[in-house]
Amino acid sequence: MSGSTSETRAVSGHAEGRVFDIGYERYDGPREGRHRARMAVFKDGVRIALGLGRGPRAKVLPWGFIALLVGIGFIMALVVGAVLRLGGPDAAAGLPNHSDFYGISSIFFFVFAAVVAPELLCPDRRDGVINLYLVRPLNGSDYIVARWLAFLSVSLCVAWLPQFVLMIGLVMGNPDPAGYLQTHWLDIPRILTAGAAIAAYTTTLAMLVAGFTNRRAYAAVFLVGLFVITTPFTTALASEIGGAAGQWISMFNLTNIPVHVNDLIFGEVSGVTSGAPAREFPAWVLVGWYFAWVVVPGLVLWTRYRRLTP
Amino acid sequence: MSPVFLLTLRQLSGKWRVVIMTTLAALPVFFTAMSVRAIDAPSVSEFEIIVLSTMLAGSIAPLIIVAIASVAFANEIEERTLANLTLSPIPRWQIVLPKLAASVVVAGPFIVGSAVLTSFLAFNHDALAIFAVATGILVGLLMYASVFVWLGLVTKQAIGVGLLYIVLWEGFFSGFVSGIRFFSIRHYSIALMHGLDPRRFAESQPVGLPTTIAVSVAVVVLFLVLSTRRLRNMDVP
Amino acid sequence: MSGRPEPVIRVDHVSRWFGSVVAVSDVTFDILPGITGLLGPNGAGKTTLLRMMTGLAGVSDGSVTMFGEPVRDNPSLYGRMGVMSEHETVYSFMKGREFVRMMGRLRGVVDLDAATEKAIDLVDLPHAAHLPMGTYSRGMRQRMRLAATLVHDPEVLILDEPLNGADPRQRVHFQSLLQKLAEGGRTIVISSHILEEVEQVAETVLLIVNGKLAASGGFRSIRAALDKRPYHVRIISDDPRALASAVVRLPSVDAVNVDPDGAIIVLSNNVRDLQVELPKLAQASSISLRRVEPLDDSLESVFGYLVEG
Repeated sequence: MSGSTSETRAVSGHAEGRVFDIGYERYDGPREGRHRARMAVFKDGVRIALGLGRGPRAKVLPWGFIALLVGIGFIMALVVGAVLRLGGPDAAAGLPNHSDFYGISSIFFFVFAAVVAPELLCPDRRDGVINLYLVRPLNGSDYIVARWLAFLSVSLCVAWLPQFVLMIGLVMGNPDPAGYLQTHWLDIPRILTAGAAIAAYTTTLAMLVAGFTNRRAYAAVFLVGLFVITTPFTTALASEIGGAAGQWISMFNLTNIPVHVNDLIFGEVSGVTSGAPAREFPAWVLVGWYFAWVVVPGLVLWTRYRRLTP
Repeated sequence: MSPVFLLTLRQLSGKWRVVIMTTLAALPVFFTAMSVRAIDAPSVSEFEIIVLSTMLAGSIAPLIIVAIASVAFANEIEERTLANLTLSPIPRWQIVLPKLAASVVVAGPFIVGSAVLTSFLAFNHDALAIFAVATGILVGLLMYASVFVWLGLVTKQAIGVGLLYIVLWEGFFSGFVSGIRFFSIRHYSIALMHGLDPRRFAESQPVGLPTTIAVSVAVVVLFLVLSTRRLRNMDVP
Repeated sequence: MSGRPEPVIRVDHVSRWFGSVVAVSDVTFDILPGITGLLGPNGAGKTTLLRMMTGLAGVSDGSVTMFGEPVRDNPSLYGRMGVMSEHETVYSFMKGREFVRMMGRLRGVVDLDAATEKAIDLVDLPHAAHLPMGTYSRGMRQRMRLAATLVHDPEVLILDEPLNGADPRQRVHFQSLLQKLAEGGRTIVISSHILEEVEQVAETVLLIVNGKLAASGGFRSIRAALDKRPYHVRIISDDPRALASAVVRLPSVDAVNVDPDGAIIVLSNNVRDLQVELPKLAQASSISLRRVEPLDDSLESVFGYLVEG
């Protein structure tokens, strides 16, 4: 043992007391009220969803999904640009477009929501942190609405961003960018509504399932199972049974519900829904069915949290 | 019997898990029962692709096992009980192996049962076909389980990463990019079915039996070693 | 080294940081047989330090050895060690007896039945051993976890806040149990943020504040060392010059400075005496004191907090 360390080394069983000097500073911070509490829950929700303020590992999943979706939009734009250049406008006309994006990428939205949304609810209940929230001037409704809005905001960004990347790509790739924008400007409100439709749907369903289990794992597997399995299952069953019953079975294809709305908004049929018998239903049935799948789960979720007390 | 194994068996057999596993496992059986009665029943190769490959080997087996195997360690990490096991004077592989074994023992009956019933209905009680399908699924299950046990040790987001891997890699890309199938557990699961019963997946020309066996063993051993290493180097909460 | 017994645990220049947060900073000490108390406020780094001493967590710098061997990734050592972590989580589906038995098996106990019953008796819980641990109260859970920690009769015991949730009667029982174990030559490290909990059993206290070793030794000698330390005290009054000239004559005061803003800074060698003498002096010289505050009360306040619990 070196001399210097043996001098400063504290030893148990050594009766003589010694005091070492360490730095110390007081904390002096502001204190704020109720609206701030709601905002805090909302902001915290956004931060959790995106893994902000946490290590790189927490960011891998959300940002991986965002990169993936943006990547899909980017590749679609590249393909259209390349075909335009090589084959002219006629060849590019039949290529996937804004209207097809949500149909193509819907499964990734569902997996994104299934994996990330439970992070906003499950750990709070599992670790009992929700009780700490509720002893603040904040009730169950405040909490769940703030969390729902937080994930909705993130989902909206995730839904809109790739579409705008695609749009920029399409404008740039067009020989006449200004002309393209003039003829296609309506795509912008369409993208906004269709993106909102899919974001609200995935957010609500994912939050609902997350509201019923303490374990993120089960919520995520259950949701992905629901989305991944119902598609081949309802598709195959609907085509075998056929008729009106087949049409209704096809309505239970959970991945298609917001895509039908997307089709109505864009006035075109996407690839994924083109074979679904459910698309023969009148528009109001499809829209009503969509709202039923957002409002009812939303209400169930709200009632579940409304009565929560610490 | 290893106390870790018995402990894990009890941890992994909750009521909800049984409900989810039963539901998922019943789907292909239900579907097969419906489709063999339908007037325009799918052809054998259609059935193999839809039910055996997409549903069983590609979705249901990995989905069930990801819910079981990735929490074998993740739950202990999350609940902070893992130190009970790691502070034992036993080699680390004696903690990893029982966890893997328990995951397979819990999930196996549901998935293999589903495979047996499905092929029983589809292939007219053909014993070789049933054996080949059940073995293929079981070996696929083992590979998936060893990957997900490791995943549960390295990341808190094991389920998320696992789901992404299942949906993207096993489901999406391996269907498009044919080179990926050599790195796909689903493909080796199918290759084993073909190797044991050459009538299965005759059209898709999977890799040969010796390669399949070698790869399967290698995957399981590799991820066991990785999990053991991780358990030795990680901060146990 | 001669004359002094060989340390059981040796913590040598150990630091641990998580990203940019330093949890433990260059801590060095030896632990000898007997009971050592690791004291510090919540968040001081006690748990991180204990986790490094048990090998559960790695060090960022420095080394930890037990019986001369590194503790990290050294399973053969774990059979000689009994560790009770701060987390009160248990396998709630398991019965108390099953849990203690399982831990005994994992730690290679030979006569499992006898060891299990003995450990459960030690914590005075035989009546609850047949119940699932999910039904236990906090104190019962902690005691059953202690039984599981003791089941293989370890030479070294490391207990992180073991008295959380214990009532006063159990606390006394626990303290006598620890003393009995220590008399048998074991090495026991017990952490707490309440001085009272360890004061009666621990010969030595290691005081951790902000990840650093702030003091060590017997509790009373730390107290004495603290009292002997010079303090800066800032005083605001209506007549700083008169006060300064009066106060410098006090035996407890070493030096006085007058700040440009009118406050005086007193360097005191005995802050307790100053507390008594200052008001008397002010009254006698009819100076009114507006404010008296210590400038460097860090350790004092930490210690005060620990003593008051």
